[in-house]
Amino acid sequence: MPGNPIDQMIPPGTTDVGRLRLKAELARYFGLDKSLGEQYINFWSNLLRGDLGYAVMRRYSFMPVANAIMSRLPYTLALVIPVLFIGFFLGNWIGARAAYAKGKKSDAIYFLSVITSQMPFYWFAMVLLFLLAVNARILPTGGTFSPRFIPSFDVASFLDALSHYTLPFLTLLIITTGGWATGMRSMTLYELDSGYILYSRQLGFRNKKLGSYAERNAILPQFTGLNINLNNLIGMTMIIEMVFAWDGIGMLTLDAIRSRDYFMMLGTFLVTMIVVILGNFLVDVAYAFLDPRIRTGTSG
Amino acid sequence: MFELLIRSRKFLIGTAIVLAIILFAIIGPALTRDPLAYSSHYVEPPSNEFLLGTGNFGEDVLAQLCTGTRNSLMIGAIAGGLAMLIAVLVGGIGPYKGGLVDEIANAFTNVVMVFPMLPLLILLAAIFETRSMFLLALLIGLTSWPWAARCIRSQVLTLKERGFIDVARMSGMKDRKIVVAEIMPNMLAYIIVVFVVSLSIAVLTEAGLSMIGLGPDPSTSVTLGSMLYWVMNSTQAALPWDLWWCFIPPGLILTIFLVAVFIMHNGMDEVFNPRLRRV
Repeated sequence: MPGNPIDQMIPPGTTDVGRLRLKAELARYFGLDKSLGEQYINFWSNLLRGDLGYAVMRRYSFMPVANAIMSRLPYTLALVIPVLFIGFFLGNWIGARAAYAKGKKSDAIYFLSVITSQMPFYWFAMVLLFLLAVNARILPTGGTFSPRFIPSFDVASFLDALSHYTLPFLTLLIITTGGWATGMRSMTLYELDSGYILYSRQLGFRNKKLGSYAERNAILPQFTGLNINLNNLIGMTMIIEMVFAWDGIGMLTLDAIRSRDYFMMLGTFLVTMIVVILGNFLVDVAYAFLDPRIRTGTSG
Repeated sequence: MFELLIRSRKFLIGTAIVLAIILFAIIGPALTRDPLAYSSHYVEPPSNEFLLGTGNFGEDVLAQLCTGTRNSLMIGAIAGGLAMLIAVLVGGIGPYKGGLVDEIANAFTNVVMVFPMLPLLILLAAIFETRSMFLLALLIGLTSWPWAARCIRSQVLTLKERGFIDVARMSGMKDRKIVVAEIMPNMLAYIIVVFVVSLSIAVLTEAGLSMIGLGPDPSTSVTLGSMLYWVMNSTQAALPWDLWWCFIPPGLILTIFLVAVFIMHNGMDEVFNPRLRRV
């Protein structure tokens, strides 16, 4: 591993003798003088008690890692949760409509949704930043609040945060919407071509009714896709945060990597995993409500 | 199967673009100057001398683009190849053997699939002090195979039920021979496309990691991600985002490549699942 967290803690002006003594003292304090096996056991026993160690990085010097992460987690969730749901509904709505388009219009919609879903998201963030923040100067280039702005619970802080929130939110929303739309379009096309729809059409059902039947079946596989989409979205959000310096878990991870704060790196990773597993669990529960066929398994 | 693929318009267009980009990556570096050579033309917009402008230290962006595309594709090929290998082993043998082997292989795939790949890669990459392109490719390959394993598994499952496999088994063919002589030829086109998709995912991941400084050393190795890294960490301009000629080309070529691969995969899907085909 590159560098040593203890070295980072020692103030730059310390004399050589002081440096050695501080080093020994800090190593003893953090239990780093014990054997590797003991350190590993310590790590797990502390982890199970919710103790992720202490932050080494300047901004959170000696604050418990868990507290630092909890103070940043809401910022990440503020991006992930709205994007997950708005992207899902918007994308599926667009995708279902796109299935009925004909000829040139259909091709155009297909290409647009494929391009937005396949584009490298971090690059799209840079393009948006370039167009809206640097050239048009409508939105701020990064951060969570304006520099030298002291946030509090009032309208001005909210508006300030909102203007910083817009760009990362838009980036993630457009990319995920494109993905959902591509999938929903092909699923709806697939259902519209199936036997029950063709038969209903022969019976003389209205197109609107046919569409509602097809879409209900087309959206089910999309729901199973929510799990994987959530996993991808968490990773994407981390990198997007780094581009826009949005104060969430991703930016915290980047700061931790830059200051070689291993406690913090491990902590952010663990918390990300917990968020993903909880999210997956909630999606699975929600799926049982939507598709009765899943529920029958539990009763027997 | 192959004749059907040739007839698919989407598959042909996608393949043509992918091949064009590969050709660009192979020929480009030979025709352009050294991508790491400094010059006195710092961050200049495109001109006749530098067709795509120059970067932070006066490097030729076009030369960086060629070499970067080549290196990124190489990382992608190693990572995609590794992912493919694991996927064929885990996703191919499971359903063929069936029973407990299949259960274990499938459960393993699903468990790894739940892992969010990017945070895991960020952590893994941060552990190493220096990362060579090869190491990064290994890390990406080791974390990105579950998707491919699922594709292979479902394809083997449908193939297994076909009559000619039963005939081969009844005629006393050995398992290994059935896999090599009967299943593989029918899977080949599928495996190649799944490999190309794995490659494209690996290229996308590499550029993302390199962009945040977790890729190979950006001052000695040029990849599409390292080009983006230097834009994000530019020292020349107060607002680094003003350098559109530095960050538009690598992202654009990546977008074209990813879209082409997607269309190719889409076209192939329509051939393998005829119900998806619709005029």
